This record gives sequence, C-alpha cells and structure tokens, in this order.
Amino acid sequence: MDILIYGTINSVTLALYALGFALVYGVSRLPNFAHGAIYVLSGFIAWSVINTLGLNHLLAIVITMVVTALIGSAIYLIFLIRVRGMAISEIIASYAIALAILEGLRWKGFKGMTYTLPVFIEGSTSIAGVSVDYQRLLVVGVGAALVAFLWVFTHHTRIGLALRGMAQDERAALMLGIDSDVMAVVAMGLGSMLAALAALMLLPLGNIVVESGYNVLILAIAVCIVGGIGSWAGAVMAAFLIGFAQILTVVYLGAHYQMVVALLAIILTLILKPSGLFGQQKELEERV
Amino acid sequence: MSRRRSVVLSMFLLMTVLSFVLVAPVRAADPIVLGCPLSTAFLYGWDAERGFTLAVEEINAAGGVQVGTEKRPFKMEVIDTRDLEPGVPVSEALLAVEKLILDKKASFILGGPVRSEAALAAMALLSKYKKVSILTSGVLTPKYHAMVAEQYDKFKYCFRIHGEATNLVGEIFANFSQLKEKYGFNNLFIMAQDVSHARGAADIVKKIATDKGWNVTGLEIYPTGATDFSLGLLKAKDTKTEIINIWMDMPESAILLKQWFDMKVPALPFGSTLAAAEQPGFWKATEGKGEYTLCNVVNAGNAPSNATEWTMKFYNAYTKRWNVEPEGLGTSSSYMAVYVLKDAIERAKSLDSDKIVAELEKTDLMGVYGRLRFDPKSHQVIPATDPKEGAVGSILQWQAGKRVVVYPKSIAMGEIQLPPWMKK
Repeated sequence: MDILIYGTINSVTLALYALGFALVYGVSRLPNFAHGAIYVLSGFIAWSVINTLGLNHLLAIVITMVVTALIGSAIYLIFLIRVRGMAISEIIASYAIALAILEGLRWKGFKGMTYTLPVFIEGSTSIAGVSVDYQRLLVVGVGAALVAFLWVFTHHTRIGLALRGMAQDERAALMLGIDSDVMAVVAMGLGSMLAALAALMLLPLGNIVVESGYNVLILAIAVCIVGGIGSWAGAVMAAFLIGFAQILTVVYLGAHYQMVVALLAIILTLILKPSGLFGQQKELEERV
Repeated sequence: MSRRRSVVLSMFLLMTVLSFVLVAPVRAADPIVLGCPLSTAFLYGWDAERGFTLAVEEINAAGGVQVGTEKRPFKMEVIDTRDLEPGVPVSEALLAVEKLILDKKASFILGGPVRSEAALAAMALLSKYKKVSILTSGVLTPKYHAMVAEQYDKFKYCFRIHGEATNLVGEIFANFSQLKEKYGFNNLFIMAQDVSHARGAADIVKKIATDKGWNVTGLEIYPTGATDFSLGLLKAKDTKTEIINIWMDMPESAILLKQWFDMKVPALPFGSTLAAAEQPGFWKATEGKGEYTLCNVVNAGNAPSNATEWTMKFYNAYTKRWNVEPEGLGTSSSYMAVYVLKDAIERAKSLDSDKIVAELEKTDLMGVYGRLRFDPKSHQVIPATDPKEGAVGSILQWQAGKRVVVYPKSIAMGEIQLPPWMKK
C-alpha cells in the first residue's frame, strides 16, 4: 500500500515539475532550460512576499504566480525570441539564463536551509495504515485538478485552442491568423506559472535551496523525453512511469539508485523509442 | 618657468621624497596570507569563513603575529570550492587550492577542501608545494589522518584540528548505550547521504551496532539533494525502530526531520552529521518540528557550554560579530586553527613549512574546545571526553527552541528527552 500511495505522490510531483516544460516545448518548440531556475526563483519570490512584505499566504500565491508568469514572458521577449528556431542556441541561451538566475540568487545570499514556505494544511493522516501528511495529499489533488484544468483550457478556450493549434502545426496556425510569437509568449508565461505552482505546492514540504533548480530541470527533461517531447498527456504518463519506478527502486534496491532511474529512462527511451511514448517527432524515430 | 611655479614644483618634489622617507619605516609589514578553500554556499563553508575572520580580526587588532623580530598581520583569501554541491567534480576544489597557492601566494591553507573526497585528493597537491594545511571543517573521513601516518614524509604538511568519523561513532555509541540502559532501546535504523564519509560511517555504525547486540532494522543511502524520505521513515516505523541514526550534510536533511514529525515516527532522530539541525535557524526552518532532534556539532563551542574559559567568550564574540550563534561543525575549529597557527609561527620564528610542521606537532594549547594537541604521527587533533585532556566533542538536542548540549557529561547542559509520542 505504501508503494501505491507514495508512488502516486511521487508521480504527481514529477508531473508538476514537467508540465510547464512540456507546455512551452509543445507550443513553441522551445526547450526552456531555465525551467528549474524559474521554479526556485518563484519559491524565493513567495518567501519574500510572505516574510519581507508580510502579506498572507494566499495573496503570496497569487502574486508569485503572476510575477513568475511575467518573468517567463519577459525572458522570451527579451532573450529567447532572438534565437527562436535555432535549437542549439535556444538551449544555450535558456541554460545561461538559468545559471544567471540560480547563481545570482546564491550571490545575493539566498543559501542554506532557512528559507521555507508554510504548508497549506498542517498534520497527517493514515490511509490503510500508511501515514501520509495532508500537504502531500493536497499535492495529489492539485496535480489532478491541474491536468483537468489544462484539458479544459486547451479544448474549450480561444487561447487554449490557439496553443494547441500551434503545437499541432505552426504553419497552419499561422495561416489561420494565430500569431506565433504571441502564443510563445503566452506559453512561456503559462509554463512559468506552472513552475511557480509546482514550487508553491512542493517547496512547503522542504526548504528552498538553489541547487534544487538543477534537479527539477533534469527530472522535467526526463519526464518529457520519456513521454514524448511536446506531448502533455505523454508527460503525465511518463511521470507515473518514472514515479512508480523510482519508488519501487527505493523499496527494493535502495534510495541512492532513485536518481539513476530518471537518467536510465532517458537513455533507454533514446535508444528504443527516441520520440517517446506519445512523441510527435516521428521524423526523429525514422532518422534513428 | 616662472619663479612661483618652480617653487611650487620644488615643494611638491620635496614632499614626495619626504613622504617616502618618513612613511617607509612605519609601513605595515607584509601580511601572512591564509588561503581558505571553502564551499562557501554551504554551512560547513561559511561557518569556517566566519570563524577564521573573527580570529584574524582579533589577532590583527592585537598587533598581529610575531615572526622573529617583526609583527605581521594575517590576511585571508577565500575561494569557493563548491565541493559540497551535488555534481561538482573534485577537480574544481583542486584548482581552487592550486590558485590559492600560486596566484594568491597563500603561505598556509586553512579550512578545506570541505568534502572528504576533495580533501584526500588535495593532499598530494599540498605535498607538492610543501604547504602546511589545517583542515577545520567538514572532512570526517579517518582515511585522511591514516594517510598521514602511513606516508608521513609525503603528507606531513596535513593536519586536522576537528574530530573525525571514528570519534563521532564512539560518541554516538556512548549515547546509544545510555538510551538502551534507560529506555530499553534495541532497534536502530541508519540513514546516510551518498558521500564518502557518510557511507563509510554508516557501514561502521552498522557493523559495530550489530557486534554490540543492536538490531539494525535498515540502512538507507540517499543521493545528495534528495527531498523525500517518506519510505525510509515508513520502513523505520514498520520495523519498530527506536533510534534513527542520520549522516547527512545536505541542507535538505531538514525535510527529513519535518517528515519525521508529520509522520510521528516513534524513533529518536540522532544525527551524527546533520548539518540542518546544527544551525540555530533549524527551529524556524522546521517550524519547531525538529524538536528532540539530536546532532553532533563535532567540537564544543559550536553550541553553548562551559567546556573551557574560552568557550563562551568565543561563543559571545562570534554572536556579536555575526548576529548569529556559532552554527556548524567547522566554527570553533576554524577559529582555533588561526590561533594554533599563530602560536606555531611565533615559536618557529619563521614561515618555513618544515619548521611550522615541527612546531605544530608540539602544540599544547587550551582552546575553545579543550586542550589542543596533534598526534605527532597522524597529525589528527587528540580527542577526549574531558576538556582538560583533549579536544572535546559536543552532541546537542533541540529542546523548546534551544540547542542543549547533552554530551559529553563533563560539559553537558541537559539530558536527552524523548518526544511525547515515544514516551512509554
């Protein structure tokens, strides 16, 4: 039972890490390597809003998500738009932004383990004899709600449909009057907002440390590669696959092999099915 | 040139010459450069840096170091080795050490590298450049002083002024025995970080515990940067564990204690290395959930006690200087390393490495954490449980928001308490 419960929690955690990354790539074909840095940055923004400005938790959440979305959009408009379409340059530029954010935070003294966010609900409960805290249950609930929201948003709203249109066929979308750059800005903003949501849900479980930005990026990339880069459904499926594989590894092999699972999943996917579980890049598969 | 202009020019030249003549004799002597390779973004780096800074400021304010006939000040050069960060290769720390020696012209290396793997790799470099080094923070592997003992001529420049894993293991077993006697505890679960000293220490603890009749209910190794310990804690709970022995220096270890509290695991968290719990900010970071956590701050002075007359004097001076109490395991040892080095330089009347090694071997100084002497063969500081005999350790427990020293008895300020959900 503990494998089922903690496997689900771990899978939803991975999905939260990855959905923003998958969204940005799915719409604009932009591998946003600053995703992990934005995750950490949003944690520090929330911390500052609560501890420096003295605002309440709910207000801090709203402000953090809005500010992070604006930062994400600004990153695209100021930096990434100039290298759009040049895959290697996009990776280098976005990773450079990540380094600037993370090392900048460290340089400004955001280090150590004293930066924490409050949990939404204190305490724990027991499910079938397995002890689990309310915050983790909330993570699962928010993760499920987020997937439902994304589905509704991308199927029943103008912007969502435009985003899907861009993701499916950029040229056809352009012919229908959808502005590619505007959609990329929206995707970056929304992707960053999702990173902020993940941070706001997950960071209260621990503390805000700069180094976690790199881990989040690696896990998000692993989930997206296994799921098929650009596929949101694939990302969710892959999150469950890797999430449960990690928990089974912890239980049967040892906790220190946990990170190997994600890296092994990347290698195996690239060898066996380079386009991933639900990947749309069939040409990649054919080339290999 | 007008007469007026030539007078002004002459006066200017005269003043320039006079300034050289008059000022030169009172010009400050060249500083003695202390190279400090530290992982400054982490507790075991910044605590050492602050300890060094405080000692250097005190010594310089008192006139500096007497080297033969002249007084010379200390000057610190700190480079961030980043060796405590996950994924940073050891070679980065070696580059930092080499830069301190060649570029910053460090006469001595104090502090790190902080990660055991990096410190072991740096030994050859210190030998190559004949630079005296005193480790003051983080490096707990017994292999360090074992290598000095095995190849004395090669590694004689390497000293360590704080306790190491073997001492820590001895200290925790002294406490385990007390807990066994008092509460009948017999089940031990070990959680360690996937780094050299922690893995090694965890294996040693497991072996010794088994030999001593403890039931070791599990040994879990976590990658550096791990953020979820739920399954390990569940295992501990399911196996009726009574003590969880923790070896982790990553800041994420605070998460482990929060999870332990949320899950109300009926086992006492006993950190040997537990960086998160060493810091005064731990209480706030865990919102008080870390209460009852025990951890070893390796040497006295890193938590309040009256080990020697110097202990609280240092403790208060540090708190006043940095607006925070001494934090991690490298604080008092870094502070004392500067004083020990000053003492050796003054006796050697020289900065010559071989002479300093000889004098450091003769060190016998009552410091912040007891009598400081180095083993002449291994260059490891000599440990003791009585500060009059040697360097004393310090195990603290978080009680009502305060760090209370509970071991050794000679300096204890309180006794180990159990969380309410563990009381029998």
